[in-house]
Amino acid sequence: MIDRRTIKNFDWFNLCIVLSLSIIGVLTIYSATRPLPGVEQPPFYLKQSYWILFSTLGLLLITGIDYRWFQRAAYLLFVIGIILLVLVLAVGRKGLGAQRWIPLGPLSFQPAEFFKIFFIMAIARYLSGLGCPANLTLKNIMKMAGIFLFAAVILLLKQPDLGTAIMFVFIFFALIMVAGVKRKTILIIVLVALISIPFIGHIIWDGLKEYQRNRIVAFIEPAVDPLGIGYHITQSKVAIGSGGFLGKGYLHGTQGFLRFLPERHTDFIFSIFSEEWGFVGALLLFVLYLLLLLRSLDTARKAKDLFGTYLSAGLGFMLAFYFVINIGMTLGIMPVVGVPLPFLSYGGTALLSNYIAIGIIMNVRMRRFSLFY
Amino acid sequence: MMDKKRVTILTSIILFCFIAVLFRLADIMLVRHRELAKRSRTQYLIVQDIKPKRGTVYDRKGRELAVNLELDSLYGIPSEVEDAKDTALKLSSLIKVSDSTLEHRLSRGGDFVWISRKLDPKITNRIKEMNLPGLEFLPETKRVYPKGTLAAHVLGFCDIDNKGIEGIELKYDNYIKGRSRKLMLGRDAFGKNLSTGSIPEISGDNIVLTIDEDLQYIVDKELDKAMQETHARAAVAVMMNPETGEILAMADRPAYDPNNPSAFSPADRRNRAITDCYEPGSVFKAILVSGVIQENIFPLSQTFDCSKGSIEVGGRIIHDAERHGVLTLTQVVQKSSNVGAIQIGMRFGKERYYKYIKAFGFGEKTGIDLPGEVSGMLKEPSRWSGVSIGSISIGQEIAVTPLQLLRAYCAIANGGYLLKPYIVSEITDAEGKPVKVFGPQRIRRVISERTSRIVTDILTTVTEDGGTAAKAALDGNPVAGKTGTAQMVDPETRRYSHSKYASSFIGFVPADKPRIALIVVIFEPKGEHYGGHVAGPVFKRIAEQSLTYLNIPIEKDNHLLLVEHDEDR
Repeated sequence: MIDRRTIKNFDWFNLCIVLSLSIIGVLTIYSATRPLPGVEQPPFYLKQSYWILFSTLGLLLITGIDYRWFQRAAYLLFVIGIILLVLVLAVGRKGLGAQRWIPLGPLSFQPAEFFKIFFIMAIARYLSGLGCPANLTLKNIMKMAGIFLFAAVILLLKQPDLGTAIMFVFIFFALIMVAGVKRKTILIIVLVALISIPFIGHIIWDGLKEYQRNRIVAFIEPAVDPLGIGYHITQSKVAIGSGGFLGKGYLHGTQGFLRFLPERHTDFIFSIFSEEWGFVGALLLFVLYLLLLLRSLDTARKAKDLFGTYLSAGLGFMLAFYFVINIGMTLGIMPVVGVPLPFLSYGGTALLSNYIAIGIIMNVRMRRFSLFY
Repeated sequence: MMDKKRVTILTSIILFCFIAVLFRLADIMLVRHRELAKRSRTQYLIVQDIKPKRGTVYDRKGRELAVNLELDSLYGIPSEVEDAKDTALKLSSLIKVSDSTLEHRLSRGGDFVWISRKLDPKITNRIKEMNLPGLEFLPETKRVYPKGTLAAHVLGFCDIDNKGIEGIELKYDNYIKGRSRKLMLGRDAFGKNLSTGSIPEISGDNIVLTIDEDLQYIVDKELDKAMQETHARAAVAVMMNPETGEILAMADRPAYDPNNPSAFSPADRRNRAITDCYEPGSVFKAILVSGVIQENIFPLSQTFDCSKGSIEVGGRIIHDAERHGVLTLTQVVQKSSNVGAIQIGMRFGKERYYKYIKAFGFGEKTGIDLPGEVSGMLKEPSRWSGVSIGSISIGQEIAVTPLQLLRAYCAIANGGYLLKPYIVSEITDAEGKPVKVFGPQRIRRVISERTSRIVTDILTTVTEDGGTAAKAALDGNPVAGKTGTAQMVDPETRRYSHSKYASSFIGFVPADKPRIALIVVIFEPKGEHYGGHVAGPVFKRIAEQSLTYLNIPIEKDNHLLLVEHDEDR
């Protein structure tokens, strides 16, 4: 399974970018959770370091398994994932107003983090069976949505995890586009969407939780109540904007340290990073993510089979989606939907699943020359 | 294998999103940087005024004369007081404010009203225990003078807001009070203060006086004793280093306690050594004689016939205290003959005499660094009447301060230089580094070295047998000095009183190599009023103890003793 050529083709490039981002993450977590004098530093940065070591092992392990095994296991994993999501609602631990964690001994993990990979695998397998170009019709799409999308989105909204649910919808349509859709079908979907928004919008609004509605109000008009719902966004903008061109310098930021910015080491870590490293640092971060994204799309192009293409593209889109939504959120151009910044935000499960995603992309790239038996 | 075009289109869409986000990032980080950075600063920095503590006042050997004490002040927040009547009642039992006044203050609304400032810590604790709503404490510093009345007239005092009101506290208030500093304090989102340590303490500059606490103590003690013995209305003593102009001790009686100045009348808080002028009387003869000798008006062997016991000048008859015969110049001073002095004055002439009075610094402020100094009264010669030359020759018709007199005598003692007296030798900052240093300042030369030596010799005879101030003589060390017994002008009748005198003695010692110059003035002693009898002994006691303290060896007749002492060691 692992031959010499596979090792020779090991994708050091991706690993280096991921590790760089992770180190930036640990440093920023350290700065963001640096306590007031006389208080002990919460060990977030240490925990995150352990998770990075653990996730790197996971990544290496994943690159060792030929990704075609995933093709075979895709539907099984998808079903397991759905079961876990149901389990979360049944026995999950509540935290921050949402039920996302399953306790596992001393640890706890978020099944949604792994389910997103299973979801992409399942869709990739389904699409790869349709040939290329798939020329999907409306009927095809409805059928796929019925099988893969609806159950997942409903279960996620139940938690509620709006951010991940939106991402599923996004990846679903992105992969359909990659597979190829009839022009007529695209037109119909867009028209239906435009017409139905006023009707469905009302239903969705009523279905949202109070805090989700608040976030949307805050997104549209942050000044409504700066210390209430718009507070996150305002403080995030103050943090980023006060960084300026060169930043305040590492460990010289005030917004996180002085606890003006909530979620400073998780969802809003980018704000802390830009406050201390400035526009220059933020630009570097953009470049690193862009390289990661272009690399995975390049892998999608070069993959030796359709499953590999859809898999790499789907995972790449996932990371890009996270990045754009998270940064957009910190800049006040996206609603606060609670999406972490991959590799930087504090959080073990997310880190591991993102490393696995990169591991899979690397896997596809490393095996692009191998022949089928 | 697959349609690359579609991947490229999707890649472009994502790139577009990246660029859109990047634009927003640039907008916030570069265009709106200023505004947002300001916002960041203002939300975690609060500006706090730190009030400095007053600097310490030290004596010349670094002993503390004025320090600070931390005390709590009680204030009320009327809007938070629940029951003004009850609160007022409870408080009035502890502090010196009536309950009706307190109730009025606490019930008139508003956010701040002083109730009682700088409370005794015991009372503070008892009020804290009562836990009344709407009452808060604010730490304040109180100026404290640990030595009580010692040098009180020099030090002065402060008001409740720690502002200098008198003395050094007033004169050097700008240095002592320090400059309040603005401190930027960080605080977190919940308003918690970031500086864990205490707010840095800042304090004003310290003052180092030329006063020596021990010498001051000697002077204080002897003045108290003199006040008791003579039942005088007031007394002044000033000790100066005749070579430098440093004030070594300056005492006024009645005394007052600067820790509680309001308990004393303003008159008692006055530093009479510089704020009060009086007619000096016979001590002024030394000025006349100095001028006469400097100008070589007549040979030193010149004699004056004083056998009549009185002399007429400008229609006024002036008497001697007792009848003398024919006196030499020296004897006129030694016996303090008015008749002799007036003859000398008339020979000297008013223009020349006036010139010397001015030169010795009368009619002008000495410039000492204390507030409230007066220049005294000296008439221009053109406004002198016929009697003036006689009066002024014996120290009348002229008003001087004790310090002016002492300074003039220092000029005789130090070889002829008029000095600017000073009482602060150094101003140091909070770390003890000098900010300003003061040294001796010669204003002008008044008489020659020779004249000074001759006058000193003449003044030395005053404390010898046959002089008016034998009681001021010290064992071993010659004292050069002069007595004065001036009648004071009765403020009602505006005539010389026959019961109110200013008895004084000024001198310096050792006469040949003066280390201290000292003036003692006793105002309105009861009973005995001759300067030699009233002020002379006080001078002697102070000078004796001071010389011992200053380790100045006894010179005359005691050489053998000293040698033996040396051999013992």
